[in-house]
Amino acid sequence: MDPNFQLMFYLIPTIVGFLLILPFGRSLVDPFTEKFPSLGNERGRVFFGLILTCLAGVAVSFQTLWISSKISEGGNFCASNSILSCDDVIGNSNYNTDPIFGIPWGGIGAVVFCILLYLVYSSSKEPNANWVFSYLKLGTYITFAGFFVIALLIYYEIQMGIEIGKPIIICQYCTTAHFANIAAFIGFLRLMRMNDSIWWNKTSK
Amino acid sequence: MKYTYDDEADVRTTALIRVMALFFVGIMIIAATTSPISTGTKEGERAPSLEGKFYNGSAWTDFNLESYWDSEWEEGDMNGQWVVVEFMDTDCPYCVASAEDMGVNANDFGGSNPQWDGAIVNFIASVAELNIDGHDSSRAEMVAFRNKIADSGETCAKSDCGSRPGAAHNFPYIDDLDLENMKKWKVSGTPSYYLIQPDGIIAWSSAEHRDEELRDAIIVLVPRESA
Repeated sequence: MDPNFQLMFYLIPTIVGFLLILPFGRSLVDPFTEKFPSLGNERGRVFFGLILTCLAGVAVSFQTLWISSKISEGGNFCASNSILSCDDVIGNSNYNTDPIFGIPWGGIGAVVFCILLYLVYSSSKEPNANWVFSYLKLGTYITFAGFFVIALLIYYEIQMGIEIGKPIIICQYCTTAHFANIAAFIGFLRLMRMNDSIWWNKTSK
Repeated sequence: MKYTYDDEADVRTTALIRVMALFFVGIMIIAATTSPISTGTKEGERAPSLEGKFYNGSAWTDFNLESYWDSEWEEGDMNGQWVVVEFMDTDCPYCVASAEDMGVNANDFGGSNPQWDGAIVNFIASVAELNIDGHDSSRAEMVAFRNKIADSGETCAKSDCGSRPGAAHNFPYIDDLDLENMKKWKVSGTPSYYLIQPDGIIAWSSAEHRDEELRDAIIVLVPRESA
């Protein structure tokens, strides 16, 4: 299967999740609110969007880790001469692991998105528990810290591009995970603010 | 059956178990479908990149070790080209002393010797400038060492570079005077040798076989028609 087509399995849920997180997401779920009543209010919608985004983030991170393992065997998955070449990025041993522990970035992404998924999933199951606010705050902090990692990885992509005479090389799978992190940050931030307001237990749209 | 409502039950435990199950399923899928090989300089690991400018006898041009690798190569395949990487310093007395052996090995296993019926072994020297007093090197010194140029004015280990043992070398010399490659390969001393399979996996390292000569390792590990 073409790797760019396969990417859609992760990109589409991330985009849908992101749209649900945004304030205008309600128009997307209107047809489903009768069958899924939790989508009928803002809190349920953002929770659902955030869970979808985190699941997509977990999946695309595992896929990235898998690609990294395949490349280390000597194989290839998405090598290309264009600027979209995840093999060149994930297979570059100078940049494909974190500089402190040497863990592949895909593995770090999988762990982080699992933590985010746990935070949002448990919060959605018991939204009025006294620990929910601290979970949402922690999720916001983790995803905010992710911005620095994203900046570092984009810097690496530019460096790798310069080394082979291109302005940048983009790993499309990694970029999808970066996008999921940004969407998750917005979702956690919205839920955290909502949790602190009278809107948290409103059942209206 | 009697059901009891548990006031202590917490949805966080259920959520944690489910998310952890998801995580371990992901790990198991990767473990079942791949056999990752880590990058490093120990035997069985994938050789790290080795880049820089190299001198091939006429000019300094870009070098990339990865251009030698053949991902389709399988053990015993005679067509793949093996690589020996030597980390050395032209001012290191042991490197000067072993220059003759390197030249002899390169001639014997490099494909020009009709008596060698094994796979071709390419030789590469990565030349560093160690941070030791008296170890001042330059590209001119590397060229004088490699080509064994007498009276060039370049000094290798306190002697004229042209007076080193052995004949002139015909294999590439990589400029690693900034020690970038040496640090990346975590080489602790010079000379250090690595014998690398055609698929980029390190088959033998002098650091792990202090009592074994490079020549013996080549004879044992590189496939031969007569073997």
